[in-house]
Amino acid sequence: MSALPNTPREARTTSALLAQRAYGPFLALRYLLTRPINLLGMGGITISVWALVVVVSLFSGFLAVVEKHVHAATADVVVGDLPPWARWSELRAAIADDANVAGQTPRLVHYGLLLRPGHRPPPAPLPGRGALHGGDQPFLIVQGIDPATEATVTGFSSWLVNPEIPVPMRATAPVLAPQNGLPTVLVGLQRMRREGLAVGDRVVLTTAHLQDDGQGRLTPAKLQIELVVGGAFQTAHGGFDGNTAFVAIDTLRKHLFPSEPDAVQEIAVRVHDESSLVPTAERLQRAVTRAVERDQRGYGRVETWREKNGLFLASVAHQRGLMQIVLIVIMVVAAFLMLATLSMMVTEKVSDIGILTALGGTPRGVAAVFLSCGTVVTLCGIAFGTGLGVVTAIWLEEVRQALRWLTGIDLFPVEVYNLDRVPCAIDPWWLLQVAGMALAIGLVVSTVPAWRAARHDPLVSLRGA
Amino acid sequence: MNAPVLQACAVHKHYRLGKREIPVLRGIDLSVAAGETVALLGASGAGKSTLLHVLGLLDPPSSGEVRYDGRRVDALPIGERALLRHRHVGFVFQFYHLIPELTALQNVLLARMMDCSLFAYWRRRREVRAAATAMLEQVGLGERLHHRPAELSGGERQRVAIARALLADPKVVLADEPTGNLDSTTADGVVDLMFTIQRQRGLAFLLVTHDEELAARCHRIVRMKDGQVVSG
Repeated sequence: MSALPNTPREARTTSALLAQRAYGPFLALRYLLTRPINLLGMGGITISVWALVVVVSLFSGFLAVVEKHVHAATADVVVGDLPPWARWSELRAAIADDANVAGQTPRLVHYGLLLRPGHRPPPAPLPGRGALHGGDQPFLIVQGIDPATEATVTGFSSWLVNPEIPVPMRATAPVLAPQNGLPTVLVGLQRMRREGLAVGDRVVLTTAHLQDDGQGRLTPAKLQIELVVGGAFQTAHGGFDGNTAFVAIDTLRKHLFPSEPDAVQEIAVRVHDESSLVPTAERLQRAVTRAVERDQRGYGRVETWREKNGLFLASVAHQRGLMQIVLIVIMVVAAFLMLATLSMMVTEKVSDIGILTALGGTPRGVAAVFLSCGTVVTLCGIAFGTGLGVVTAIWLEEVRQALRWLTGIDLFPVEVYNLDRVPCAIDPWWLLQVAGMALAIGLVVSTVPAWRAARHDPLVSLRGA
Repeated sequence: MNAPVLQACAVHKHYRLGKREIPVLRGIDLSVAAGETVALLGASGAGKSTLLHVLGLLDPPSSGEVRYDGRRVDALPIGERALLRHRHVGFVFQFYHLIPELTALQNVLLARMMDCSLFAYWRRRREVRAAATAMLEQVGLGERLHHRPAELSGGERQRVAIARALLADPKVVLADEPTGNLDSTTADGVVDLMFTIQRQRGLAFLLVTHDEELAARCHRIVRMKDGQVVSG
């Protein structure tokens, strides 16, 4: 048998195959098993993958919960930015024409300070508070609603009987009906508690409105409406509860639009099929525009609940994105740890490079040994990190409680976020992305020492010994 | 005389040191026939080891040709040269050059892993292991299969290196001062073993040595001086 390759084709094939010979993985495994320092690199990858899985699962879970809470406090579609000439009867007919509309309700939306007579507003809120919980700023959005139709569009009825509301603080039927000749107001539970309000207490809504001065000019005028606290409400969205108060729509109409009994500023809509929310909103936009159009000014804006709360939801998603970037940077740093240990190994094993070359190894084959080392370290790090990450994410609430019990530190105070447990959503696609990123970074980092090994002159080690 | 298995034809080798060219080999012509043992003698710096590396395709000649079985091989692509180095030539070094993490058996098995894919090796692992064990038994290390180099004496390490060089069934063994690091008693044992195997297998041996006694046991002695063959 001739030892020489006979044809160029045979030669090419044997050459290509040589780079993938059995000695690569065999030696890589031996090198790794005899050098516990490689656990450092593996540990770095494991920790960074673990952190990416856990933190992003937590943020994804949190985002999902926030979306759920926000949606629970918002109608599927909201028609706002309506012009002064908008009429509820006309718009109701236009909106009801859409087959996907299941219900709708008119609203007047105003603002003001709600204080007990003789009381001064509380101090200004701390920066950063209010978005999630709200309630500690004195200003309120005052929604004038029709309780009967509001209940068909949002979870309004359930907000009044939330189990957290003590019975004495609950609204009595008929909801928002006048008491002792005064209109009633519904206030968020937390605000009621904080301000020490009770059902039956008198409060004054202080606000302003625009008045015609008789010469066609609108001038602001102070407006005070005396109200009685009719009860508390509680949704899952603390920010909404803290910043909102409900009064009957007729009460607001009487003071803001006394000569316009059909006035409407916002319409909340519920749809049959939520999966076609966006096309429905687009159709409603066209219908509303047709109904209120004057002078090509484009009045009336139709938004889905997601669009209406877009900035708030985007801010949470943005935080998740920032965390991802920070953790990916940590992964790169961990990969440098692996680079250091692999480089050290190459320096230690230069004598082996000469041996392998003398036995029939190629520079590519030599590189494959060290690339295999990096790949094995990375794959083990990914496997351990992903496994630990998934387990931690699944048991995140238990981990939080155990940590609190052991150290007294609460890493995720659920009360702050109005949650009963730490949220978590494991996204398999994200797991794949993390694994892919870690593998790519690991391979790139392993390439450097592997390339160095491949470039090492085997004769130097064979001569040197 | 048998056909040559290894030939150097007008081989020159020089190294560049800055702007200077240092000639190491100056027109070497050498031929080793199948089954022939050749001793390469010369003072330090004569170019013996460099010639061995050039003949073993570890270092390309600056000019001239290296031929295996009459075919020029020094200009082949790197992968093919590596394959030839594995199939045609076995190396034995003065300092054994064993991989310290591997046992004696694994060091020998490594020679078989060089031309096998992982799956092919896995399929043939029993057969290859049996061959490596037999080879180690032949060199008298049947009881030391699972010892690491650090647990073996110098002579034993060199025997492992010989077994590794022979496992791929080469036609030529290139030995660079194989007894240079051994005491005389151990060296004698290793040399006896090498010549026994050489005779049994009909191998060609090219031995670099300073040892005149060892050289005298070879069929032919080639003396080198200043990069040239001066006799033989």
